[in-house]
Amino acid sequence: MIEDELLIAYADGECSEAERAQVEQALAEDPALRERLERHRRVAARLGVHYGPIVEAPVPDRLSDLLRKQEADVIDFAAARETRESRRRLPGWGNWGAIAASLAVGLFAGQLAFPNRGGVVENRQGALMARGELAEALNVQLASAQPESARVRIGVSFQNAAGQYCRSFETGKLAGIGCRSQEGWSLPITHSADEAAGKGGYRQAGSGDALVMQAAEAMMRGAALDAESERKVRDNGWR
Amino acid sequence: MATGTFEEGMLALLPRLRRFARSLARNEADADDLCQLSIERALKSRDQWQQGTRLDAWMYRIMRNMWIDEARARTRRAATFAPEEDGLDVGDDGHEAIERNVAVGEVDRAMAKLPEEQREVIALVLVEGLAYKEAAEILDIPMGTLTSRLVRGRQALVQMLEAA
Repeated sequence: MIEDELLIAYADGECSEAERAQVEQALAEDPALRERLERHRRVAARLGVHYGPIVEAPVPDRLSDLLRKQEADVIDFAAARETRESRRRLPGWGNWGAIAASLAVGLFAGQLAFPNRGGVVENRQGALMARGELAEALNVQLASAQPESARVRIGVSFQNAAGQYCRSFETGKLAGIGCRSQEGWSLPITHSADEAAGKGGYRQAGSGDALVMQAAEAMMRGAALDAESERKVRDNGWR
Repeated sequence: MATGTFEEGMLALLPRLRRFARSLARNEADADDLCQLSIERALKSRDQWQQGTRLDAWMYRIMRNMWIDEARARTRRAATFAPEEDGLDVGDDGHEAIERNVAVGEVDRAMAKLPEEQREVIALVLVEGLAYKEAAEILDIPMGTLTSRLVRGRQALVQMLEAA
């Protein structure tokens, strides 16, 4: 019998190798345990999708001004630009909330379809990150020059409200958006094609690709990168 | 750089601080008020932050303590004034806003029903993605206490959000 405490530690990547092996063996043998794990992961994914957009949203001036006043003498081009940009409001919460809600299930399915080891997605301390050929494609593949044989298709590249570079992608059953941070490509939005096919009877608001595009538009600050800027930013390591 | 470091670090942290505030408080307005109070407190006590230590952990701790003070004050006020209706103020700013509150309000409502001590653990580990050890240090509780609150909080969330 695997207790919830161990199961949750496993889901969070907080257990030892021995415990991990113990849980994985039990998971392989016990569908009820798999269902328990799924429930915990679904809840974690819902929280992530619910609170995630706040990090992408522009910070209200009244908060950033508290800190900017302190450095008034410093002429900081980047900060000035950020202030200007934050006034140009994004489509904002409404849009995001609805999209996030319809993608919640997709996020979870993405985790299931691609468990921690193997595959193109990993769960790093609760954050979904790209790995393997997906991470590689996000790093190097240009939307404007994709080989026919490429297994990952890149959609649009753009900057989000936090100034990170993000790229939409599609590979096999998984579509989503990767955003570049110091740690690698985090995946704030993923959608698994399993739901698009209607398995499990989840309500579908639209096709995965269309939802991902909507999410990209909602996250985008300014316009998507054109071919030339995309190449430049790539060559600069997406910084 | 020497003078800019603290403010720059804080500015970079703001999006995450807003998210943490949002998972402690139940609506956007309260969350941003909490953010503001925490930033003001941090600016006042910036001498207590040691360069080279983690600014995010320091800020999470300040914010969490502010929230507890605030929640106590609220409880006192609530005893005097008519209690706020349970749940979110949906407002009447159009169909879209209502729909979005219906869509996302479930998570807010579930989080609001958790005891404070479980909610803050869930917020740090599940929403902010901190390691157990980091969260335990911020909350100044032993690891065993952290994991038992985390497990109870998650069991409660599963019950509330997976019941339908």
